[in-house]
Amino acid sequence: MAINAPSRHAAIAHDDTDGERFIETLHPWRRRLWVQQILSWTEYGVTIGIICVCFLLLISRFIPWATASYWAFGIAIVILLCAMGAALWYHPSFARSAHYIDTQLLLHDRLSTAWELRDNSAPISVLQRRDALRQLRKHSPSATISLWPGRIRLFTFGIAAIALVLLLLIPNPMNAVLQQQAVFQARLNRQIAAINQARTVIDNQAAISAQERALIDKILREALARLQQSSSEEQAQQSLAQAQSKLSQLRDPQASQKAQARANASSSLQNSSNANVSNTGKALATGDNKALASSLQNLASQLKNMTPAQRAQLAQQIERAANQAQNNSQLSSALHQLAKAVADGKPAEVSDATKTLESAAAQDSANQATTDSIDQASQSLQNAANAIAATTDSSNGQNSSQSQTPGQGQSPGQTKASGQGQGISGQGGQNNTNNNAGKNEQVFVPGQVGSGTSNISVDGSTGTVQSGKPVPYSQVIAQYSQMAHDAINNSNIPPDLKNLIQDYFNSLEGRQ
Amino acid sequence: MANKRESTSPQTGVETANEAQREDLNTQIGNDVAISDIQVETEQPGEADIETFMHIAQQLEDELCSIVVGQERVIRELLLSLFAGGHVLLEGVPGLGKTLLVRTLSDALDLKFARIQFTPDLMPADIVGTTIVTEQSDHNTAGNRRVFSFQPGPIFANIVLADEVNRATPKTQSALLEGMQEHTVSVGDATRPLPRPFFVLATQNPLEMEGTYPLPEAQLDRFLFKVLVRFPKAQDLMRIIDTTVGSQTLQAKQVASGEQLMHLIQTARAVPVATHVKEYAVRLLLATHPDQEDAPDSVRKYVRYGASPRGLQALIMTSKVRALLEGRYNVSLEDLQNVAFPSLRHRIILNFDGLADGVTPEDLIETIIEETSTS
Repeated sequence: MAINAPSRHAAIAHDDTDGERFIETLHPWRRRLWVQQILSWTEYGVTIGIICVCFLLLISRFIPWATASYWAFGIAIVILLCAMGAALWYHPSFARSAHYIDTQLLLHDRLSTAWELRDNSAPISVLQRRDALRQLRKHSPSATISLWPGRIRLFTFGIAAIALVLLLLIPNPMNAVLQQQAVFQARLNRQIAAINQARTVIDNQAAISAQERALIDKILREALARLQQSSSEEQAQQSLAQAQSKLSQLRDPQASQKAQARANASSSLQNSSNANVSNTGKALATGDNKALASSLQNLASQLKNMTPAQRAQLAQQIERAANQAQNNSQLSSALHQLAKAVADGKPAEVSDATKTLESAAAQDSANQATTDSIDQASQSLQNAANAIAATTDSSNGQNSSQSQTPGQGQSPGQTKASGQGQGISGQGGQNNTNNNAGKNEQVFVPGQVGSGTSNISVDGSTGTVQSGKPVPYSQVIAQYSQMAHDAINNSNIPPDLKNLIQDYFNSLEGRQ
Repeated sequence: MANKRESTSPQTGVETANEAQREDLNTQIGNDVAISDIQVETEQPGEADIETFMHIAQQLEDELCSIVVGQERVIRELLLSLFAGGHVLLEGVPGLGKTLLVRTLSDALDLKFARIQFTPDLMPADIVGTTIVTEQSDHNTAGNRRVFSFQPGPIFANIVLADEVNRATPKTQSALLEGMQEHTVSVGDATRPLPRPFFVLATQNPLEMEGTYPLPEAQLDRFLFKVLVRFPKAQDLMRIIDTTVGSQTLQAKQVASGEQLMHLIQTARAVPVATHVKEYAVRLLLATHPDQEDAPDSVRKYVRYGASPRGLQALIMTSKVRALLEGRYNVSLEDLQNVAFPSLRHRIILNFDGLADGVTPEDLIETIIEETSTS
C-alpha cells in the first residue's frame, strides 16, 4: 500500500464547502437551543421569583413589614426580567450547541471536533466533518431538543406556586400589628400638628421676652423632631417627657408663690375702704397695668387732700397688703415703699413709690406670662402624651395583661381660668416592687411632672389622673430628684429634714 | 523476513535467529533507515488509508479473537498499543495464552518474532547480542582470517516477547530500555538500529513474587499499556477446549506486513483531537498527582507519584487508534476514559497507605474518571 497518495489527497482537499455546509446544518439546532434556553431560563426566573416571593411573605408573617408584598413581587419581576434578558443576550454559541448535541445524541464529540476543525482542509478532517454531518442528519432538532420543562422543574414550580397561593390566602397575623402601627402613626401626626399649633401660638405672644420665647420654641422643635422619628409609643412618651422636663427647668420655681402673694396682696388692697386703693388691688389682681397706673395716679392726687391720720390709716392698709405679699419680695418691697410714702405724704416719694409699684407689677405680669406660656407648652405636650397613651390603651384593649393602677395624687397646683391644673400630681402607683431595678427598667408611673388632666378641684383636693405609661427608671428618678431638690430649696423645711430628704433620694439613685 | 523458525539456546533460554535470519535482519536494518526517513514526512492520510486501517485492524482483531479465545479485551488493548506504536506489559497468571497471543500477532502481521525467557542468570548480552571472533576467507592470502563480528541478540526482531521480565536482574532488564525507547542498541562502540516495527511485549506473573525483581518505575513508564490478562469465563473455556484440544490446529492468516503496519501507525496519528478532549486528557493526568488541587481525595491519600507526560501521550495516541477502531474520525471523551485504565495503571505509584489498605490503581482511576469534569 502506498504511503502517500497525492491525487486522493487533492480530491478530498478541494471539498472546502464541507465547513459551510456543517455550519448551515448546525444553524437550526442552535436556534432551537436558543428557544429552549429562553423558555427554560424564563421558567427558572419564574420559579426562583416565586420562591423569593414566598420567602419574603413568610418573613412578613414574623416581622411587621408593611411593604413586604411590594418588595416581594418587585424582586420577583426583576428576577424574571433578568432571566429573560440573560437568555436573550447569551445566544448559545456554535461550539456550545455542538457540545450539547454531542451529549444529547451520544455522537462521541463528532460535532465538537467538526466545529473546531471546520476550516481544516486535511483529508481526515474533511472525512470527520462528513461523518459528523451524516450522524447529525439522522436526527431532527424538534425531536431531540424538547421545549417542555422536565418533571423535576415542573414539580418545583408547582410546589412554589402552591406555597405562594397559600401564603396569599392565609391571613397574615402581622396585619393587625401593622394596623395598630398605622393608627399610632396617624395619632402621632395629629399630636405633632397640635404641638406645632401650640408652638405657633407661643411664638406670637408678645408678653414674654424673645429669649425665653426662643428657648421654649427650641425645646418644642426638638420634641417634634424626636416625635417624628419615634417608631413606638415608648419612644414618643420618652421624647415628650424629656421636653416636659426641659420646660419645667425653664419655669420659675417660685412662680406659684409669687402669684399667691400677689393675689393675697391684691385681695388685701381690694378690702380697703379707699376706692383708689381698692382699684389698685383690682388692677393688681387682673394684671391690668394701665388701670394700676391710673389708680395710683388718683391715689397720689388724693393724698394731697388727706389728713395725716387718714394717710396713716391708708398706709397701714397698704402695709398690711405688703405683708401679705412677702413671698413676692419685689411687690412687697414696692408696697412697703408706697405705704411709707403715703404715711409721709411727700409727693416726690409717692411718685417714686408708684413708679416702683408699677414696675414691680409689670415685671410680675411678664413673669406670669412666661410661666403661662411654659404651662401652655407643657400642657400641649402632656395632652399629646395622654392622647398617644389613650390610643395604645384602647388598641391594647383586653389583650393588656399589665396591671395598670390609676395614679392618684394631690395637686397643690395653681388653678387657671380654664380650670386646668398642674403641678406635681399623681405620684405613686408604681407597679415595680423590685428595689434592684436597673437603669433601663421601665417603671410604671401614672403621673409625671405636670401630668394629669383637669379633674383636680380648685382648692387642690385629691384628684385622679389618667393611668401612666412605662418610663425609664433613670429618667423618673432624675425628674423626681430635681423636683425634690426644688421643693426643698423653695420651702421652709428645716435644714436637718432637708438633708434627710436629700439622703432618701440619693439612696434611691444609688440603687440604680 | 518470512522465515519465522526459531531455535532456543539451552544455556540462556534465548530463542535466537539462525544465520539466514541474521542476513535478513541486516537487510531489514538497512530498510529501516528508509522507513524512518519516510516518517519524517507529514503527509496526511486519505480516505483510502483510513478505510485500509479500519479493514486491516478489523481483520487482525478477528484473527486474534478466533485463536485466542476469551481475551477480547486484552486483544483490543494489544491492538491499541500496537497501532499506537507502543510496548505492552502483560500481567497475568501462567497459562492464559499470553505467549499464544503474541505469537499469533506476529503470524498475522508477518513479523519477525523473538521470545526471551527472562531468568535470574540472563545477561544483557544474551538480549542485545555480542561481538565474537569469526573466521573469514581472505582473498589476498587465499586463506582464512579471524575477524570480530557482531552477533545480534534476540532483541533484533519486530516483536519481542520478554517472558516473565521481572525474573531477570535489573541490569538485564535495563538492556531492554534503550531498545524500547530509542529503537537502537549500543554494543561496544557501535549503535545499531532495531528493525521497524519494533514491539516489546513483556509478561509478568503477579504470583510467585519471591526472588523476582519488580520493574522500576522508569522502565514501567516505557510501556505504553499495562494489560491485565484475566482468567477466561466458563463459556470461553469451552471454546478453548474446542479450538485447542481437537484435531484441528488454527493458524492465523497474514493480514498485513510490517511496512503496512508502520503506515497504519502513521495513519492513526493523523486522527484529529478537539481542544476540549485534550483538556480533558490533561485534567485526567493531573488528577493522578496527589499535589494537584483537582486531585480526588483518594488520590491525595494513597498516591505517591502520579503519571508522567508519557501517560498523556499514551492516552491520546491510543485514543486515536480506538476512535478509528470504533469507526470514528475523531477522538472522544469516551475513548480517553476507555484507555485510561491500561495507560495509567502502571504509572500511578501507590504510597504505603495505599498498599496497606489494598487500594488498586484501577480503583483510583475509576474515581478520577468519576470526579473529573468533562467540560
